[in-house]
Amino acid sequence: MTDLSVTIGSLRLKNPVLTASGTFGYGTEYGAYIDVARLGGIVTKTITLKPREGNPMPRIAETPAGMLNSIGLANVGAARFISEKLPLLEGIDTTVIVNIAGNTIDEYPEVVRTIDHHPRVDGYEVNVSCPNVKKGGLAFGTDPRITGAIVSGVRKATRKPVIVKLTPNVTDIVSIAKAAVESGADALSLINTVLGMAVDIETRQPLIARKTAGLSGPAIKPIALAKVYQVSQAVSIPVIGIGGIMSWQDAVEFIIVGASAVQTGTLHFIEPAGVLDVIEGIEHYCIRHDVQKIETLVGTLAGD
Amino acid sequence: MTASPDNCGDYDCRVISHSSITEDVFRLRLESPEIAAHSAPGQFVQLRVTGGIDPLLRRPFSIHRVHRDGWFELLYRVVGIGTERMSLARPGDSFRIMGPLGRGFAIDRPFREALIVAGGMGSAPVIFLIEELVDTGRRVTFLWGARNSNEFFDLDHLEQLGVTIHFSTDDGSRGCKGLVTDLLTTIPESQKEESAIMGFACGPEPMLKCIQEKVLEKSIEWQASLEKRMACGIGVCQGCAVRILGGNYRMTCSDGPVFDLKKVVFDD
Repeated sequence: MTDLSVTIGSLRLKNPVLTASGTFGYGTEYGAYIDVARLGGIVTKTITLKPREGNPMPRIAETPAGMLNSIGLANVGAARFISEKLPLLEGIDTTVIVNIAGNTIDEYPEVVRTIDHHPRVDGYEVNVSCPNVKKGGLAFGTDPRITGAIVSGVRKATRKPVIVKLTPNVTDIVSIAKAAVESGADALSLINTVLGMAVDIETRQPLIARKTAGLSGPAIKPIALAKVYQVSQAVSIPVIGIGGIMSWQDAVEFIIVGASAVQTGTLHFIEPAGVLDVIEGIEHYCIRHDVQKIETLVGTLAGD
Repeated sequence: MTASPDNCGDYDCRVISHSSITEDVFRLRLESPEIAAHSAPGQFVQLRVTGGIDPLLRRPFSIHRVHRDGWFELLYRVVGIGTERMSLARPGDSFRIMGPLGRGFAIDRPFREALIVAGGMGSAPVIFLIEELVDTGRRVTFLWGARNSNEFFDLDHLEQLGVTIHFSTDDGSRGCKGLVTDLLTTIPESQKEESAIMGFACGPEPMLKCIQEKVLEKSIEWQASLEKRMACGIGVCQGCAVRILGGNYRMTCSDGPVFDLKKVVFDD
């Protein structure tokens, strides 16, 4: 038996595989296809203080080995999240991380204060990296001072673990990562989507209404892997690897370069039960390589 | 295999047969007792074209016909890399398919006559719809538009079901030359008792928009099946939003794909 459990701040996850924000709804939508309780954790859709209806259409496009999305943080808002969505997670034995965002620096802790009392909220993932919104998002996550201010605010508003989700769309991701660490983050998750674009050459129309969008899927995996490696070398808090994970092999790669846990995202759209194969595959890999605790595999790149 | 309370699941479906209607329109028969048993007209499936990552996303297809004993069919036109790959499938191959998905046509309403308008691949779900309508004792009038006469199929079957069909083609090779929506101007007026009629529309957005303009002021209720690019197919990714009059965005995949035509906001 391999011990697949991992520690993220004060959280103990039953295994290192979580679902990435925006790809798993509010947590129960995929209940028809998988046993959600087998996941290491769920990261919810981004929750904002007020409801958001999202961006104009078209919002998605397929690209080679990837997809562009520009959803625009469509969500029901903090109040309805508590009254309608969180109760659905009652009794499901897995960790629930709520992804949060705000239009302003102060809105982040305000979202936290609205939902922090709820026992089903186990921790937060702070979204300072959405490429598809006018206010906040990428503009925050590309600036170490603003990132730091947001994380400090959230830190003061809760005793629950705080994960900060970073964008790859920066020159030096390590400086942003360090700003988050210094401001009290318990863990970092990366990468959010890569800014991308696609055009219909016959009509010269962008395939996405807002023109640029976030690229996800296998196409971005090597980028994500390099960022996770760089950041995990530079910080001493846990790093959660995200970006194009389609298989257990992909997940193991992230763990070897330094990820304590991983998140699957676009995979759910393609193979709803695929995330369970990722968990099983990691376990078989550990058995085959005589890894008794998954935590001992983290950051074990040969030659380092 | 995974089933759910809503009777949808994700299944490996074996290809039973694969035939061509024209050089780029194909009919794919797939084995799945579960999907066949639980599908309703207007619902769709999400088909994974390959086991690989290119093309990456599943493709949505409306359910074309079902045989409750264990198979269902898709009707599709080759339009890109996904359908091109699909068109190579042979009997014995299999596809990973989620379904049945979405909310189909509401046919349990108190109407006696159905007026159906379909253009292009919008005709795919219509055969299933007509079979259910005739089964429940409705009279069906079908306005059917296509590029040319070769794209009409199952005509003997539809005749046996007693369906009145009016054709239109782009090239005039059968029926009226022009758009299927041109046929609408004459047909509804010839019907009496509008309250007893239900309209159904399936096809590309410009066609639906044109029908909407023509029927907006009339009392007949119209149900339209929408086509949008999709990723997840179950309301999670929020990629297939559609604006409904007097409200927020709804998701084509999980709130639709069938909506009240008069309430759909096109060009949003």
